[in-house]
Amino acid sequence: MASTLAHRPGTNSTSTSGSSGYRRGSVSSFPPQSRSPSHTSARDGPTPTPRGFPPHSVRDSNDSSNSPSTPSHDSSTRALKPAAARQQNRRLKSQYPADSSEKHVEYILVASFDIDRGSVMEHQYPSPISGDEHMLAALMLPDQAHVRSQDWTIFFLHKDTTTEEGAEEEAEKQEEKAQRRRRRRAKASRDDTDTQGDEARSFGDTDTLNDNEDDSGSDEEDDGRPEGPPLIYVLNLVNTKQDNTVKRGAVVKAMAICTRHSFLHIYKPLLLLALEEYFRAPVPETLASLYNAVNAMDLSLMPRLSLFERFILQASDAKDLFIEKFDQMIQQRMAEDASRNSLPSDDPPPQVLSPSKSSHKRYALPRDTHEFESRVLYNSVPVPIKVPTSLSPETVGDFSLIKLIQAFSTPHSVSPVAFPHHPHLTTSGPYTHPIIVLINALLTQKRIVFLGHNQPSGSVAEAVLAACALASGGLLRGFTRHAFPYTDLTKIDHLQKVPGFIAGVTNPAFANKPEWWDLLCDVPSGRMKISPKIEGVPVTEGLLFFQQQSSTASQTGAMGASTAGGAAGPSIHGAITAAGVSLSAGLGGSVGGPGLFGDPTGDNAFMASLLDSINQRHGESAIRSKFRLWVLKFTRLAAAFEECVYGASALYIGTTAASSPSGKNPKSDAANPGTNPALEGHGYVWPDSASKTRELAGNASRIEGWRSTRSYYTFITDHASLYERRPIKTLDLHHQHDRLRFLKMPPAASADIYLALCAVVASYDEICQFLTVVPESGGGLFYLSLALFHPRPDVRDKIRELLERIREHEAGRLFWAGMGRFAKLAVLRRQREGSDGTK
Amino acid sequence: MGGSISKMMSKIFGSKEMRLLMLGLDAAGKTTILYKLKLDQDVTTIPTVGFNVETVTYKNTKFNVWDVGGQDKIRPLWRHYFSGTQGLIFVIDSSDRHRMDEARSELTRIIQDREMKDALLLVFANKQDISGAMRPKDVSDALRLETIAKNHTWKVEPSCATTGEGIFEGLAWLSSNVKVPAR
Repeated sequence: MASTLAHRPGTNSTSTSGSSGYRRGSVSSFPPQSRSPSHTSARDGPTPTPRGFPPHSVRDSNDSSNSPSTPSHDSSTRALKPAAARQQNRRLKSQYPADSSEKHVEYILVASFDIDRGSVMEHQYPSPISGDEHMLAALMLPDQAHVRSQDWTIFFLHKDTTTEEGAEEEAEKQEEKAQRRRRRRAKASRDDTDTQGDEARSFGDTDTLNDNEDDSGSDEEDDGRPEGPPLIYVLNLVNTKQDNTVKRGAVVKAMAICTRHSFLHIYKPLLLLALEEYFRAPVPETLASLYNAVNAMDLSLMPRLSLFERFILQASDAKDLFIEKFDQMIQQRMAEDASRNSLPSDDPPPQVLSPSKSSHKRYALPRDTHEFESRVLYNSVPVPIKVPTSLSPETVGDFSLIKLIQAFSTPHSVSPVAFPHHPHLTTSGPYTHPIIVLINALLTQKRIVFLGHNQPSGSVAEAVLAACALASGGLLRGFTRHAFPYTDLTKIDHLQKVPGFIAGVTNPAFANKPEWWDLLCDVPSGRMKISPKIEGVPVTEGLLFFQQQSSTASQTGAMGASTAGGAAGPSIHGAITAAGVSLSAGLGGSVGGPGLFGDPTGDNAFMASLLDSINQRHGESAIRSKFRLWVLKFTRLAAAFEECVYGASALYIGTTAASSPSGKNPKSDAANPGTNPALEGHGYVWPDSASKTRELAGNASRIEGWRSTRSYYTFITDHASLYERRPIKTLDLHHQHDRLRFLKMPPAASADIYLALCAVVASYDEICQFLTVVPESGGGLFYLSLALFHPRPDVRDKIRELLERIREHEAGRLFWAGMGRFAKLAVLRRQREGSDGTK
Repeated sequence: MGGSISKMMSKIFGSKEMRLLMLGLDAAGKTTILYKLKLDQDVTTIPTVGFNVETVTYKNTKFNVWDVGGQDKIRPLWRHYFSGTQGLIFVIDSSDRHRMDEARSELTRIIQDREMKDALLLVFANKQDISGAMRPKDVSDALRLETIAKNHTWKVEPSCATTGEGIFEGLAWLSSNVKVPAR
């Protein structure tokens, strides 16, 4: 293993705006979680229902129910095996504790269009929001609000924007320092010294325990990392009402809800009601009643999930996944209610009565665990609300990837228009699919404008939000923070200072200004345009590396993928199929033979499978998970690329298993990963080195483009903190599972992998981690279950035990259920054989 | 392809395209003029939030008319529409004598911008139907066009947006005076 960690920002000769643009990494993908549990808030106005009571961070210390060999990293969510034990086990915490000091909604604003003064702010509740009031009012009254009676807008506020650049730069510097420190640490943790490992482990044991599985992982806090303040998401509704009694015949008013929740779309029905009410009663009290109503929303029964549990939930369509946790939340609440009712001295009687009366209604299990159902009582109208249980980072509002993809795919499939060549963007030649051009532009941090002339501003806002989610895949961050779902000319000067952004506009004046953007996506026509004024791409080490590779390779005739992401050379024929197969299999797509030619990146095949999926109505979540896999693959390719070109990668953290002091390596001969060099591998799996070179060459240009962006740097830190929280560190589960999946291996080699998996995957958390590697869309437990027919009996037994453990697991049972009948029968048979053997 | 055919047609038949920017103080009648041009009917307008843009074809010329809201807070945005503009239509409420100075200072700022140096200037002395409205000569004097627009080709056209009087005459003047055909 290389002793230096290769990430050298300097090698990227042109990290011009990129690295300096790295600022204010988003606090966490799940902002509202970081709440101080002991802080009781003083709410404005009376809250209608008592809201439970402080879930003190009660943690019973009798951990002994766990198998002693498995250090637990996630205290709150493990061990459910014996149902009885589960009850007294860890107390589950709420995602949104009732006593949290953070409000669901922070501000309510009302603006109107004054015929003499333009956009003006009318009221702000509970207090004026800081920042430029006129700028805010202008955002709330989008261009051409006068031509439609209703328009939804979304925009984001960076609170503290008033402190401006100076502070930001300071934060950037600190951020970079933290980066460097983290890289050093990452390197240290890879060094094969026992002390380092010990330190890391004890760190995991204590800090992660205290901090629970919060997104802003413990190590980040440890670094004192100055996160940018969390974004404030603003959902805005504007109404234009013709009214002959007023001067110039119309009233245009807008009301906005400012929240830290990324699921701001849940407030839509409330905003409709409240704005209507405001037209009737244009007084601050109207704002106050909405504010109090939404903040009284009770989400305290929504359990908090660990990182891996969230991944599993997101990747699954099962409606009862983790329902046990919801159940446990209710049990806890009922126990609390009971104990409170038995102490009548605490509360005056009327308040005690109300919760118990409604308790039956309120304490219902969700019909789909992906959503938590609650309601808001506004003006005595109960408004049902559904809040997503598990949020991906960079997922804001209720956009549709399918809509975005179709908007830009249809014109392309009918009459494709050639793009001018740009190495970062047109990675499959001039006829690169527009969606790929878009995702490339996002990954390489270009300035992207969605233009929707004559469309409501809500439609461009949705496109912007969908684009953010597209490139994030729930893995990469830094897009929404630089997204301007709706903006207009008043902000153009500010926008020009942002290095790389995603903006939505309705003013066609933007189309006439190619110096303002790199990629213009015209929503109504579904066409994209690369700016003639876009910056060129510098030559980097990686590009040169693959240029040489490909020239030598094409001389030998083995391959001819062109570098720099350009059009594929005509000589690609021979070995390409293999790579294509591995790729599209990896992405769950069908392999079309001829489609692979000239598709070194595999993107054409990917888009084909994606569109196929859309046509077969697989639904939004299936499409999102496909992009998640695409992005995941991209990051793994980038890691392999860096190792290939620079000798090591900042995107890979792993122990060289041999001497890592995990302290839990079972001593079962071959199963110990540490003793088997074959199990030390990591990263993406290719069938042969030619296909590896070809695929990396095809991606070289955009990987190099990505390597100086905000999302790249955030990914390094995220990756490091994810690694810290992994219960299994000794084995790259994904790599090993990919080997089982894609490689033909002799039984001896596969036995090593199977036994290693069986050895490390035991506890609740370990199974969770394993399940994230085998999503249902990727075949689930199929490849594991193949080992039930392995020639070696010890492998068959171990796998049976592992499958049984998975079956007993809260989430694993669903994976078990998805397994083939044949495999299930095999398990039963092995069980019988096993019991026969003991007799 | 459609584009290239229409370009060819325009070469044969001599039709041209012209980008116009219509500005003026709030409530001067810009949007009413725009929709009079576009639909040839009197529409009741409400204040413009942001802008309106319409294409109007008149006498072989395709006019791309931008009408931008006039409230003083949003006037700084006007400059973003300057580049590529071949004709400026500045609309004056001829009955509002109190705001002539304000109109003049806004017009001065626009017309002396570097990006507007080649633009034709058409001033609509609008709302001529209101009694006591200033006559075109009074308007040009009040705006001091001789001074502020001395480097421009300009004309003041008396108009009444609600009846359409003067509107198409103004367009015809723009069309016949435009030098470089729009691209």
